Amino acid sequence: MKNFPARILDEIAQLWTVTLKDIKVYYLRPGMIMFGFMMPFFMFFSFSVRREMAAGEGLSRLLALTIFFTAAAAGPFIIPTERRMGTYDRLLAAPMSLITLLLGKISVGAFFAIVVASIAAVFGTIFLDTNIAHPLLMIAGIIIGSFTFSTMGLIFGSIPTRNPGDVQMPSTLIRWVLLFISGVFVPLADMSTVARGFSYISPLTYAQDLMNHAVLGMGELNLWLDLGILFLSGLLFLLPSIKLHKRGRVLGY
Amino acid sequence: MANAIEVKNLSKYYGKFLAVDDIDFTVEKGEIFGFLGPNGAGKTTTQRMLTSLLTPSEGQIRILGHDLAHDAHPAKRQIGLVPEESNVYTELTAWDNLMFTGRLYRMSKTNRTARAEKLLKIFGLWEKKDVKAEIFSKGMKRRLSIAMAIIHKPALLFLDEPTPGLDAQSARAIQTIIRQLSAEGTAVFMTTHQIEEANQLCDRVAIINHGKIAAIDTPEKLKQTFQQVQSVEIAFMQSPEGLKEKLATLPEVSTVVKVGDKWRLYNDSPPALLPHLVEFAEKENLDILSLNTLAPSLEDVFLQITGQQVGTIKAVPASQNKKAGIRRKGGKR
Repeated sequence: MKNFPARILDEIAQLWTVTLKDIKVYYLRPGMIMFGFMMPFFMFFSFSVRREMAAGEGLSRLLALTIFFTAAAAGPFIIPTERRMGTYDRLLAAPMSLITLLLGKISVGAFFAIVVASIAAVFGTIFLDTNIAHPLLMIAGIIIGSFTFSTMGLIFGSIPTRNPGDVQMPSTLIRWVLLFISGVFVPLADMSTVARGFSYISPLTYAQDLMNHAVLGMGELNLWLDLGILFLSGLLFLLPSIKLHKRGRVLGY
Repeated sequence: MANAIEVKNLSKYYGKFLAVDDIDFTVEKGEIFGFLGPNGAGKTTTQRMLTSLLTPSEGQIRILGHDLAHDAHPAKRQIGLVPEESNVYTELTAWDNLMFTGRLYRMSKTNRTARAEKLLKIFGLWEKKDVKAEIFSKGMKRRLSIAMAIIHKPALLFLDEPTPGLDAQSARAIQTIIRQLSAEGTAVFMTTHQIEEANQLCDRVAIINHGKIAAIDTPEKLKQTFQQVQSVEIAFMQSPEGLKEKLATLPEVSTVVKVGDKWRLYNDSPPALLPHLVEFAEKENLDILSLNTLAPSLEDVFLQITGQQVGTIKAVPASQNKKAGIRRKGGKR
């Protein structure tokens, strides 16, 4: 029987093994490129072209959209695909905890979002000639936001099904609803009281505000509130995923 | 010394459908244990519970002495799983598939590379080690899937339908590996439809039907228990109309089945039937081409236990099994 520190090291190594494998297997799959890479840019250009907007404001919006869509794309695509192929059983039967497996899957989405957001940041600073007010805060925001939204995507991936299509539909629908109630396309300051109340439900609101702090140097909400809510949301989103996985084991998925 | 598997009062409900009904059995270390049953009988459900992929509704499972409900981690370290569909990562090479599994089981780099090389050579995949598994044939994927399941030298290997759909060469190679693993002390729990394969490979078999274990013993003892499914196999030069009905009237013949160009007559005392058959042939002007007495096969035993006609392999549709197997909670046997 291994002692506790050795077991923890094992679990970390297994987490990394799962992440690396998924990066190799899934990053270049059409589903990931479509929903993870192209979608945020498509959304950005759809709602930003021909509108009066400062370059910094555009970059801030692009970063929030990128971490939101890209990070949340991995879970709903990878897990049902693996269930259908039977490879998920290999992971569930392996000697690692469910949390380790889930953290591995979260990391896959988060790293994907970090890479895509970094491309967006480079694109913004070079082509939009943007000055970033707090680069370190932007990096921290990208990292925290990516993990939070990847954990959100994991909830959909954890729905007991072997058909990725069953998951893509609700996950896309909910992401769109969150997108439109958040302060991405309509700034919080311009929202009505009711709309603003709804916007506080969405973690994307806090991600957008955090990016405003980082890129523009000003946000509508307290910076620490943004960071705290994003961090806590990430932790809370893990709970339904655990519950759904346990339910999946009862149902036979 | 703990058994490889100990199962007590294990049941599984899917909603109101009772898939596995209060079963008990043990598998010893190093034993090859066959788990036979028709479609929908509960074989795969049982195996998924034993590998922690499915939560039982009731009962206890101990794997190599560890309670699977409360102490799964040490048990999982010592098991290997080969599901019915070969679950290799087709986007990875054979080598990368093995390296991934080795890392998952926390094998050192030296160990996993040495073991991967050995297994790829044993399974005839060494030349293809750097080829992505997406272009592998079904047999090659199956062999790779088994190699991935045993790379960490498990003490207990679960195999779900190891050889159906494979060519004879691949099937033979896999059977040889199973025997070698058993000889090295690995217990093998094998669910299969291939009754003859179970007969040749397994130390003991359990036959599950409608979620309950109907019989459990060595293949030979099971055959002895079912002496009523002994038979005489006869081939005639001629095949006149109504021959089956006439053969069925012979003394003590319980069932007549046509098997290719032969007739199989089930009877609990074949030697006593032989004179009647010769007399029948003379009376009907039939020339006998061949005449053999047959002991019950494991297939006959299986069909007898599962309520199917002896002498034929006739899979019961899953829907029929489910219908027959439905019992409500509190009303189970």
